[in-house]
Amino acid sequence: MTVALNELDTKFKYEVADEPGGENIKLCFACGLCTASCPVSDIDQKFNPRRIIRMVLLGMKREVLSSDVIWFCIQCYTCQAHCPQNVNFSDIVKALRSIAVREGYVHPSFVEKIKEIDAFSQKLRHQMVNEILASKAQGVEVKPSELAAKALQTLQD
Amino acid sequence: MEQGNGKVGAVLIVGGGIGGVQSALDLAESGYYVYLVEKSPSIGGVMAQLDKTFPTNDCSMCIFSPKLVEVASHQNITLLAYADVESINGEAGNFKVKVRKKASYVDWDKCNGCGVCSEWCPVVMPSEFNMGLGTRRAIYTPFPQAVPKKYVIDRREERLCHAACRDACPLHMNVPGYIKLISEGQIEEAYKLIRATNPLPAICGRICYAPCQEACNRGQIDESLAIRELKRFVADNCDVEKLEIPTVEPTGKSVAIIGAGPAGLVAAHDLALKGHKAVIFESLPEPGGMLRVGIPEYRLPKEVVLKEIEYIAKLGVEIKTGVEIGKHISLGELRGEFNAIFIAIGAHQGMELKVSEEDLPGVVQGVEFLRNVNLGKKVRVGRKVAVIGGGNTALDCARTSKRRGAEEVTILYRRTRAEMPASAEEINAAEAEGIKIEFLVAPSRLIGEKRLSKIELIRMKLGALDASGRPRPIPVEGSEFQLPVNTVIAALGQVPKTDFVKELGILLSQRGTIEVDPGTGATNIEGIFSGGDVATGPAFVVDAMAAGRRAARSIDAFLRGMPLPVEEKSKPQELTAEEIQKLRNRFDEHPQHGIAEVPVEERKGFEEVSIGYSAKEAQEEAGRCLAGQVTGCIQCLECVDRCEVKAIDHSMKDTFEEIEVGAVIFSGGFECYNPSELYKLGYGRLPNVVTSIQFERILSASGPYQGVLQRPSDNTPPRRIAFIQCVGSRDAKHNRPYCSSVCCTYAIKETMIAKEHSTVPLDITIFFMDLRTYGKDFDRYYERAKRESGVEFVRSKVYSIEAVDSTGDLVVKFTTEDGAIKTESFSMVVLSVGFQSSPELVELAKEVGIQLNPYGFCQTKPFSPVETSKPGIFVCGAFSAPKDIPETVMQASGAAGEVSTLLAPVRNTLTKAKEYPPERDVSREEARIGVFICHCGINIGGYVNVPDVTEFTKTLPNVIYAERNLFTCSQDTQERIRRAIEEYHLNRVVVASCTPRTHEPLFQSTIREAGLNKHLFEMANIRDQCSWVHMREPDKATEKAKDLVRMAVAKARLIKALPHLSLPINRSALVIGGGVAGMTSALTLAEQGFQVYLIERSNMLGGIARRIHYLPGGEDVQEFLGYLVRRVREHPKIRIYTDTWIVDVHGYVGNFTTEIMRYRGRVIEKIDHGVAIIATGAEEYKPDEYLYGRDPRVLTQLELEEEIVKGTPDVINCDNLVMIQCVGSRNDERPYCSRVCCNRAISNALKLKERRPDMNIYILYRDVRTYGFYEQYYEEARRKGVVFLRYELEDKPRVRQERKDGRLLIRVEVKDLVLGEQVAIDADILALSVATVPPPEARELAMLYKVPVNEDGFFLEAHVKLRPVDFATDGVFVCGLAHAPKSLDESIAQAKAAASRATIVLVKDAIIGEGIVASVDESICSGCGICEALCTYGAIAVDRERGVSVVNEALCKGCGACCAACPSGAAQQRGFTRKEISAMLSAALAGV
Repeated sequence: MTVALNELDTKFKYEVADEPGGENIKLCFACGLCTASCPVSDIDQKFNPRRIIRMVLLGMKREVLSSDVIWFCIQCYTCQAHCPQNVNFSDIVKALRSIAVREGYVHPSFVEKIKEIDAFSQKLRHQMVNEILASKAQGVEVKPSELAAKALQTLQD
Repeated sequence: MEQGNGKVGAVLIVGGGIGGVQSALDLAESGYYVYLVEKSPSIGGVMAQLDKTFPTNDCSMCIFSPKLVEVASHQNITLLAYADVESINGEAGNFKVKVRKKASYVDWDKCNGCGVCSEWCPVVMPSEFNMGLGTRRAIYTPFPQAVPKKYVIDRREERLCHAACRDACPLHMNVPGYIKLISEGQIEEAYKLIRATNPLPAICGRICYAPCQEACNRGQIDESLAIRELKRFVADNCDVEKLEIPTVEPTGKSVAIIGAGPAGLVAAHDLALKGHKAVIFESLPEPGGMLRVGIPEYRLPKEVVLKEIEYIAKLGVEIKTGVEIGKHISLGELRGEFNAIFIAIGAHQGMELKVSEEDLPGVVQGVEFLRNVNLGKKVRVGRKVAVIGGGNTALDCARTSKRRGAEEVTILYRRTRAEMPASAEEINAAEAEGIKIEFLVAPSRLIGEKRLSKIELIRMKLGALDASGRPRPIPVEGSEFQLPVNTVIAALGQVPKTDFVKELGILLSQRGTIEVDPGTGATNIEGIFSGGDVATGPAFVVDAMAAGRRAARSIDAFLRGMPLPVEEKSKPQELTAEEIQKLRNRFDEHPQHGIAEVPVEERKGFEEVSIGYSAKEAQEEAGRCLAGQVTGCIQCLECVDRCEVKAIDHSMKDTFEEIEVGAVIFSGGFECYNPSELYKLGYGRLPNVVTSIQFERILSASGPYQGVLQRPSDNTPPRRIAFIQCVGSRDAKHNRPYCSSVCCTYAIKETMIAKEHSTVPLDITIFFMDLRTYGKDFDRYYERAKRESGVEFVRSKVYSIEAVDSTGDLVVKFTTEDGAIKTESFSMVVLSVGFQSSPELVELAKEVGIQLNPYGFCQTKPFSPVETSKPGIFVCGAFSAPKDIPETVMQASGAAGEVSTLLAPVRNTLTKAKEYPPERDVSREEARIGVFICHCGINIGGYVNVPDVTEFTKTLPNVIYAERNLFTCSQDTQERIRRAIEEYHLNRVVVASCTPRTHEPLFQSTIREAGLNKHLFEMANIRDQCSWVHMREPDKATEKAKDLVRMAVAKARLIKALPHLSLPINRSALVIGGGVAGMTSALTLAEQGFQVYLIERSNMLGGIARRIHYLPGGEDVQEFLGYLVRRVREHPKIRIYTDTWIVDVHGYVGNFTTEIMRYRGRVIEKIDHGVAIIATGAEEYKPDEYLYGRDPRVLTQLELEEEIVKGTPDVINCDNLVMIQCVGSRNDERPYCSRVCCNRAISNALKLKERRPDMNIYILYRDVRTYGFYEQYYEEARRKGVVFLRYELEDKPRVRQERKDGRLLIRVEVKDLVLGEQVAIDADILALSVATVPPPEARELAMLYKVPVNEDGFFLEAHVKLRPVDFATDGVFVCGLAHAPKSLDESIAQAKAAASRATIVLVKDAIIGEGIVASVDESICSGCGICEALCTYGAIAVDRERGVSVVNEALCKGCGACCAACPSGAAQQRGFTRKEISAMLSAALAGV
């Protein structure tokens, strides 16, 4: 499929740049360090920060704001710590999310859910680590999935 | 021309890299005196560190070294190496410069660069030259071919203590030195250093009284260092048997040594090393003297003594035991047999008790007792033993008695413990073993019938001090008492037995010792020396050894007929209270590491008691040494002793010098970025992650691994290497947003060289963002790396490098353009690090007031690329922006051109002409040939057996002298060659090394300095033609090298001195091309007062610059151009010819005649000129693709620029504008990068964005090549919203017209590689970044001036690295786009460079012609004229009257065509006569 650039919203990049955190998006020279460093990309290669930036730069507003991937970012700031052009992708994701909500691509309650998931993920991880702390000195044999189930149980209790 | 106006005809150049060297040579040759200041000990800069140079893969040092040597030997250059510029004051034409010459602690006037000091220096430090991968010593020269070849001592810290140990030691052992080596675990090195002054280290390591320890300043803090024990540790852990036996030329002199004790052994050892035959006569059955028979084995095992003696015997010392002088042979007989005698018989006779009944059985002499025990005789002791005396002998007797079964052993001493001469350790050990010591008692009577049964003693009290400085013991009357004993051992001291010397009248003292001169060891009888206990009375082993050494030195001088050297006494310095306080403040207390001993209860027999240090303990103890805790030189002074020419001076201070100059050039170069801060890349954390400059050193033959490709962690050859580009470049996060310009190409070079060097299959991947091979022929190089060398290129910025496991392998994580995340494993990783300015240079620039850019580089302007913000101060090279070697050389010559213009009124006011001595007439001498054979590091030496070739060479007829050198081209070797010519009266010199192309002029200059005609020189190329091509077959390479040398020698036998033609010079220049480059060259020359003829084909000056209106930074080109044209037009020394074509060219450097045609053939003129500068420019390629010429909306970038300037509404108001890069460039037809197009496209995009910020601009590119500081405009373009989309050569954008809604659209389609989709843009305007192409006439012009063009039609310079504006044809130069695509500022710099190079010709008084020209033997010439028809240069013609051919030597290029064609053999090439060539051929075939 050919993407016709003239039909896109080529001003979208300026819009993102005006958003807090989005200022440097245009500086991207597509080196890919954000993607290479991303822990989410590690597990889901559909999540490709460089490609998301490219879509913004080309004006693929609708595609970006309605895409699922912008919600996968875990806001760990690794990409941001390494970007040689200070593009600040984690902040760009924030900007994109807020535009998406503002412009009705996403219901605000969805954002609340995402926040809850993030908080819960942290708790879960914390609990999972808790579960195995006792065995620091010995080998740990339990699988993370089993551990998660156990931690989940503890959290629910 | 204006008068001098007080200007100074000298120049300061700051920085001795390739830029500084080039500027210096240009200016020195143009009539200015040059001061070249270099901060490090050698000039050479980073180029000297490179292994090879791109894109020709020339060996960097091979091409650079001759220039370095030229700088050092130039009569108009003062090289101030190891110096800093402190300040520069004044103004253009007149500056005062303060230079600080750093203390090198080596007197460079004396230093001959032999390097012995460095070999002995114990301080090992990381080598800066090898970027920390290898080591150097504290006294060092940075690299083998350093210029000047002088040593410096790296003394970074004040020494903390005065090495009192060294001064206290009678042998002056280098204690701090070997301690330092032990602390670093370099045990063998430590052993070597110890042995250098002490041939009996295992012995001294056990029983020396260690005056060093007493003097040790560490004792002021806690406890002195256990120096003796450390020495023992080293001696025990190095096998003397493994030592090489040095070969010494025998002198034929012989010395008799009487006594095989420590004095005799050391004397024999030293004399043997000096080549004298030493024969030791020993009365005892075994050698060793007191060492063997006076010291019990539990302190000094027999085998330790014998082993060290054995080694001395191996040096050729003969030891005759059981021979007593005076009994078996008389002293007089010895004197007759030997050239000198050394008497060192020791003192083996015990002193008597002087009490009654002394001869009772059971009363024995201590020394005799110990001797008998040591020699294994049956010795019995009684149950109760009394030992009389308080010295070590007494203690030894007591402890030995105990070991021989005595139950009760008592030492009886007449004074108190405090006065006991025995060492505290001995006393403690004895007491620990249960020996009693009675103080203040003396024997008064021995009692017994037949056998001893009792001893009567008298109590003593201490009185006033006696002569020995101790309190005199006084008997207490009536205090006598008796002690039951079975054995009494008298250990009161020893005296020598010297009766036998009376025979020759040798003077004795009252005590019976031999009288000697304490400074020389000489007795009153000439040729007889003495030392040790026999001369001093009982003393310590090390004193006897020192006496042996002293005597050996005297005997050697005596045997050579020299005056006896007198030894100077050195006293250990004592620290002041303040100094001690300073030490205590700095160091924590950390007492001596205890020494393990065999427990008392286990000490049964005579096994050694002391166990000695373990390696760990020794290292820890050695670490306590205060001297070793300074960085750099520890001032052990070993170098002072080693230096034959006495050049070392540790008291040297920095000195300051004020110099006056008219101009300054900053050529300080750059430093490589240190990537430690980029944690994820692992540098400094993972040993196999190295920087590109380290890798350069790894590849280099003079590098840490001698050019063997291996990785640092385990020295194994890597099988996979990753290169990571843009490390410290294009990185705004780390304040390095600029591109370092050269890394892409150098990385490619390093991959190719690595693949060549590797002994195993090697895969290499380069990870990059944009590949920036924008230089001349660099893209071809890139393609070669991909296609021929199989280097893989991955477009990705690497995220992390991690260790896989303990193997040292590394995992690289990155993402490909399609978003896939990948990890790959490599054996090592090279980080292609960027450039940064050196902090010192930045500081100086600030002090001087030169404007810098935000990144610490010197700020320049595009129209004045070599000027700083301060008039009279210029800049070249990487200090103004990252750049490669040819760009640096161009700027260096360009800056020289500027200086030359500024100071023209005072040219030749401070310089002197190079004067050679008159040439020696050797025509009547038989050939006396000297041959110098070069190792060239491993370049030759690694494959050819150079020592073998040298020995072979010596056998060739007429070869008087042959030697081999590590680098024959080094400065010190030039001196050696000159000396050899003088010493051996040589009249021909042959160098077997590399190529005459680069090195012949250097060697010719050297032999001229020694009074030989430069043609009495011949070269054998045993590198390019031998070692390099036969790397895999060293034996054959060696044979071939011999053949090549034999050929060269065969020719050398016949070569003759050749005369040189001196020709006048026409001091005017012809500049071809009226563009910016041509006009700049013309002005640069005219301003210096030279007449210039400026030829332009069109009817206007300005060239292609007329179509350029602004630069990326917004600078107005037309304003500049207008100013330039006006200056050229108005200059009285420039004559402009527009509408003019060149039709013919005659002549040669200094005397050209160019025929021109004006106004399309209406006028033909002839111009005489001395030099020509070709600046014919280039043009825009006219594309036939992408609808160009078929749709008016498709423009080239220059056309777009014109429309923007005109303000054409359809252009400046359009919505969608697309640019396509690399149109006609980087394809099969034109496989080169046009260099300027990325910047031009961005410049236009920025201009459009300025007018209309929301215009959609898409730039479709292959690699964005905004090198250097152009990167900022790329960033600005992105910031303004320009969209950059990359395309592949195989999938170029597709452009077509499409009708839509009644409009004819230009539809551009391309695959967006990040998005992974095809994108389509309907463009209102399509701009094509078209190639830069040379004008078709270039080839004709090239033929007229007999200069070459490359495959692409650009003029081909003499050498792509080091001669970027010269041609092989003298007197013709090139600059601007005619040479290659380049930016305006680069053209300007090169134009000034061409003018500077031309100046060198124009300021000469005369052109000295080549000696190698054709000559005709008129007696056999038939005048057939074949030669005349053949000669391309019109240099040979038949004299019709006489009927013979005549050569015009000025025109003859020495090509040899006439000689080859001459049917009669009348035409011969001087320097290559038939006879000479036949001789070479016969020599070549001699081995067949």
